[in-house]
Amino acid sequence: MGYIGEIFVMAMTAIFIQNFVLARFLGLCPYLGVSKKLDSAFGMGMAVVFVMTMASAFTFVIYKYLLVPYNLLYLQTIAFILTIAALVQFVEMVIQKNAPALYKSLGVYLPLITTNCAVLGVAILNTKAMRTDGITAYNFLDAVLNGFFSGVGFTFVLLAMAGIRERLEFVDMPKSMRGMPIALILAGIMALAFYGFMGFKI
Amino acid sequence: MKYYIKLSLILLVFCAVASGILAYVNSLTEPVIRDRKAKEEIATRSELIPEADFTEAKFADGSLYYIATSTATKDTLGYTFIAAQNGYSGKVQTMVGVDNNLQVIKIKVIDQSETPGLGANCTGDAFQAQFAGLGEADMLVDKDGGKIKSLSGATITTRTIANSIAAQIAALKSARGGR
Amino acid sequence: MNFIKELSKGIVKENPIFVIVLGLCPTLAVTTSVDNGLGMGLAATFVLICSNIIISLIKDITPVKIRIPIYIVVIAAFVSIVDMAMAAYVPGLHKALGLFIPLIVVNCIILGRAEAFASKNSMMDSLADGIGMGLGFTLSLVIIASIREILGNGTWLKIAVMPKTYEPMLVAILAPGAFITLGFLMALMNMMKEKK
Repeated sequence: MGYIGEIFVMAMTAIFIQNFVLARFLGLCPYLGVSKKLDSAFGMGMAVVFVMTMASAFTFVIYKYLLVPYNLLYLQTIAFILTIAALVQFVEMVIQKNAPALYKSLGVYLPLITTNCAVLGVAILNTKAMRTDGITAYNFLDAVLNGFFSGVGFTFVLLAMAGIRERLEFVDMPKSMRGMPIALILAGIMALAFYGFMGFKI
Repeated sequence: MKYYIKLSLILLVFCAVASGILAYVNSLTEPVIRDRKAKEEIATRSELIPEADFTEAKFADGSLYYIATSTATKDTLGYTFIAAQNGYSGKVQTMVGVDNNLQVIKIKVIDQSETPGLGANCTGDAFQAQFAGLGEADMLVDKDGGKIKSLSGATITTRTIANSIAAQIAALKSARGGR
Repeated sequence: MNFIKELSKGIVKENPIFVIVLGLCPTLAVTTSVDNGLGMGLAATFVLICSNIIISLIKDITPVKIRIPIYIVVIAAFVSIVDMAMAAYVPGLHKALGLFIPLIVVNCIILGRAEAFASKNSMMDSLADGIGMGLGFTLSLVIIASIREILGNGTWLKIAVMPKTYEPMLVAILAPGAFITLGFLMALMNMMKEKK
């Protein structure tokens, strides 16, 4: 199994087996908050994929070449969150200046991403993750790819959720179940379905 | 422009103060954490092979294992080592005590982050007890035709523990000169 | 009088989880057992109280433009302190909560209270707000964790409470159970509100 194979395993793990939202409980606020409409869910998803990939790259470099060599691991949380906040701000400015159309569709979601725990989560998980052999730590490319695929996994379930919720609008159900309660139960059923992927051997 | 420099300076001051405080707290807690880890390891070793003294030794790859000698008679009783491999979600570490014939005396899962309710049950006594008396060749779970009963819904965790122990016994064998 | 009012609102009327629906990630992830839920709740409460106090004290010297990064630095500092202290003194709990301790930083409740309350009110009110919100959060976690632990494991705080013949519903402890439990609890809250 070459490197391509390993990347495939990583992608499948991040998207299906250990899905960020349904198995790891990360990024629930946007998952439940921005999944009422399909198009806004898509915008949010794209913004998250982008920021998670970038954040994985930056935090990996900071971790490996700054925190570890200078024995500053206790500053990890503060360094990572500031990096992410700065990154989000920067991305927002660049998009606003150079791609106004993209800014119109993504702009409103960008500030929300700083407090999306999936982003900080992937940055921290990358520092602990191991390659499939169970011994070697992630290298730079692994970390970036893992960030990317985790973002894709997030977007995938966000879109599925939004698709179902759009239809739920027309369903007759008890008033007290409307909105958040039914969304949560739906998420529970989706998580149950995702348990089917558990234990898959690739 | 001047305004932005002022803003950056304010932020910098905040970061500096925060880092300073954290460095101080870290200097207080770090020795406590290290101490406790070392003490825990010693306690687990004597739990696996009681009434023994332990001397450090090294595997070919530089990691440590311990030779247990009886406190009373000074005979070699066996060895303890840590077996670690990636389970379902992260590393599973097991401390293992084996006798002179490299049969397991007792194991203890010391570190894991498996799914609560499924793989995390590997810290249960009944599960760990079934490893006693097994050797390198017996480290097979029931699904693969072995004797070790898998935790329900967590074959991967069980297999991980078995495989990691088998690998370390093999390493110990070669460290003893192939015996 | 005001102090009591600010303190009590977080527990029921403005309960962060059931009413404002903030900070769901840790709520669902760590409530597999009551002791984990309680530990998480208290850790977040500590951070919330400390950050509320500091942020209300520095509100006059905080430039509006960079207030969010400053809040984040303050919060992250307290989270790191909690992280280190827990690793040193309650290692078992630290291990069980794992990733979710550093993730207290991005718990929307804390930043939300900093922005919505502490940056506008006096230190005493912010302190009361922090205690109230923290207790409300902790209480919610304990309720959810109790349901999940009793159904899924037959125990409460590791003490067996169900009759021996009870077959634990494993799903309650697994991820789907977390969503479904919270979903039904919220529906129940809505139902009670309607009745009034």
